[in-house]
Amino acid sequence: MAKAVHLDQRYLIGLVNNDAAVINEIYKKCAGKVKSFIVFNNGTANDAEDIFQESLVDVYNQAKYKDLQLSCPFEPFLLLVCKRKWLNELKKRSISPVTKGEDDLLHIGEDTFEQAERLEEEKEQTTLFLKAFEKLGERCKEIIKWSMQGEAQEKVAEALGVTYGYLRKKKSECMASLIKMVQINQ
Amino acid sequence: MTEDKILLTARYVEGDMDEAENADFEMRMQSDTELQEHLKDYKHVHQRLKIQLAPDQQDIAFKETLKHTGAQYFAAPKVVSFKTNLKWLSGVAAVLIIGLLVWAPWRSNLYQTYHIDAQMLVTERGAEKITDLDKAAVLFNDQKYVEAQNLLAKLVQQQPENAMIHYYYGLSLIEINKLVEARSILTPVYGNESVFKYDAAYAIAMSYLKEDQKSDCKIWLQKIPEGTTHYQKAIELLGKLK
Repeated sequence: MAKAVHLDQRYLIGLVNNDAAVINEIYKKCAGKVKSFIVFNNGTANDAEDIFQESLVDVYNQAKYKDLQLSCPFEPFLLLVCKRKWLNELKKRSISPVTKGEDDLLHIGEDTFEQAERLEEEKEQTTLFLKAFEKLGERCKEIIKWSMQGEAQEKVAEALGVTYGYLRKKKSECMASLIKMVQINQ
Repeated sequence: MTEDKILLTARYVEGDMDEAENADFEMRMQSDTELQEHLKDYKHVHQRLKIQLAPDQQDIAFKETLKHTGAQYFAAPKVVSFKTNLKWLSGVAAVLIIGLLVWAPWRSNLYQTYHIDAQMLVTERGAEKITDLDKAAVLFNDQKYVEAQNLLAKLVQQQPENAMIHYYYGLSLIEINKLVEARSILTPVYGNESVFKYDAAYAIAMSYLKEDQKSDCKIWLQKIPEGTTHYQKAIELLGKLK
């Protein structure tokens, strides 16, 4: 069921348009909170900066390419995304966090959790795709990467020293084996 | 066979099929839900990878903005390395250059510096049709003042009470050098109570500035009270006109 789009969708629009004023507003509003959370939880200001930036990139990608419609307020959503990202990072570094789970997050609606969850899933999926990509042969990687640059495919073929027909054939094969790898791993 | 279908889908999307194969694939897809699923997956994977492998210019620009903004908000007040110093210096240099360009001491034309660089914003709630007012706003914002002025002239007739239309009509007239006419439109806007009252006063001052009538320009600048939009500019300009 389609939910009403929250007024805070404007933040997503600002991100997608690379609107410096909106981005500044977001940092002003949320950066301090993320910083204190991370610094309090075994992190540094640099960690906080990275996590914050990565989270915004995730949100941006989701809004730009997947038409993310915000059905909850932006701030708690972003904070939740950042917190989860940091808790995952701690898990990787095998440090147990001071804050347990999300029980410190008050006033957060179900929507917020749901949207943050989806963002995380997408991110994990992308990591899976990239891993499969890395397993491909050098030639395949080269062909896929180049053909995605947005240039005319004829030009790409020329740059790679192959015919246009060969490029299409090879790319289909490479992408097919990548997708098969992803399916095996899922 | 699943294997076959994945490759088939890839070949379809990448244009590695001849016409007959292509037509056949499209036919089959109408009823074959598995193929439809593969097609969706293919596009999804392709798009996700593209974002990572070949970010477009906008994506790169966006990340740049984040880096710069982040540096302001997360910077730990610790040892400042030479490198950061350099970064700051280049920033300062950039600001200075931009400042110089805006201030432009070599440009003696005060009108260019102080004229109203406003955007005409028309928001009518719930309006779906594009009205003449919308069109006029677009023309005005594109600096097509002759066309904007033509439309606005019509609108002024239709809505003699609308201060906004009068104001932008006046501004357009100034831009195309119909200064006397502009003042005859703007003076009543100043005379009445509306949010455009002091904007109109400033605009009239600009019209005098444009013909280098400094004393009249000053008289109108002095009408602008503190706390209004153009006050700062007015004070600055008054200083320069002495």
